[in-house]
Amino acid sequence: MLNLLAFAFPLIAGILLGYFLRDKKRINLGRITFGTILALIFSLGFSIGSSNELLSAMPKVGLNAAVILALTLLFSVVFLKTVKKMVKMK
Amino acid sequence: MIKYIVLALVFGVAAGYSNNNFGNFFANSLVSDYLFNFSLILLLFVMGFSFGVDKEATVKLKRAGLKILVVPFAVGLGSILGGLVGGLILGINVFASMAVSAGFGWYTLAGPLVGQLFGAEFGALGLTVNFLRELLTITTISLTVRIDKYVPIAFGGATTMDTTLPVIVRYCGSEALITAFSSGFALSLTAPFAITAIATLFH
Repeated sequence: MLNLLAFAFPLIAGILLGYFLRDKKRINLGRITFGTILALIFSLGFSIGSSNELLSAMPKVGLNAAVILALTLLFSVVFLKTVKKMVKMK
Repeated sequence: MIKYIVLALVFGVAAGYSNNNFGNFFANSLVSDYLFNFSLILLLFVMGFSFGVDKEATVKLKRAGLKILVVPFAVGLGSILGGLVGGLILGINVFASMAVSAGFGWYTLAGPLVGQLFGAEFGALGLTVNFLRELLTITTISLTVRIDKYVPIAFGGATTMDTTLPVIVRYCGSEALITAFSSGFALSLTAPFAITAIATLFH
């Protein structure tokens, strides 16, 4: 729970700061963002590569994992689309 | 852009694997904890900033209003039902397969927790399914976003509040920030309870 809130804090701080600096001169954050995304994805890959547990689990459960994942994703999308229509969300 | 992301992922896996299996050059936690958390916090701040500055994004969000709360609800329910159907097709314990799907992509939680409640074999399944969910969300985003800008959010499940959020915002636009974050947040809060509740039904 504390961890979840720790992620909300920088986001909210960013939104507030951005909101108050709305009419100030713009700085281009595109490059910083992209570089940081790459660092994040790299470290995500690193945790996967360094997890012997995960690497040894994957081949053992291959087919079952593929079937469950495919259906999980399919139903998530179908449900979301249905509910979106029901509440008329754009 | 997606090719750089996939490259970063591949290099990351190779580096992590090498560091683990060909001599520990540095502590794994340097990258998987410190670099990860640092870049994530910086990104959340920067994305929040871009959202706050963007006048259109706030208007769009206001128009959607409380409706965005249905997103995690639909994604969560859909995921668990997908697990149920998957379990029935495969002829395995359906409670376990539902619990696996109720990880919503949070593999570091689903692996150990499902393992504890349903045994090591299902723990491995929970780890793999949820890890692949996160991986697929990132690698297929340039395709899924074309179907509907909400599809990547449905794919991402609980991960849309952290690891997959920057990629989603990049592809779906600034206005997707709050929808994706709040959906990921709600699903992250729900995942441990959902897995435990499904296990209680089973036992």
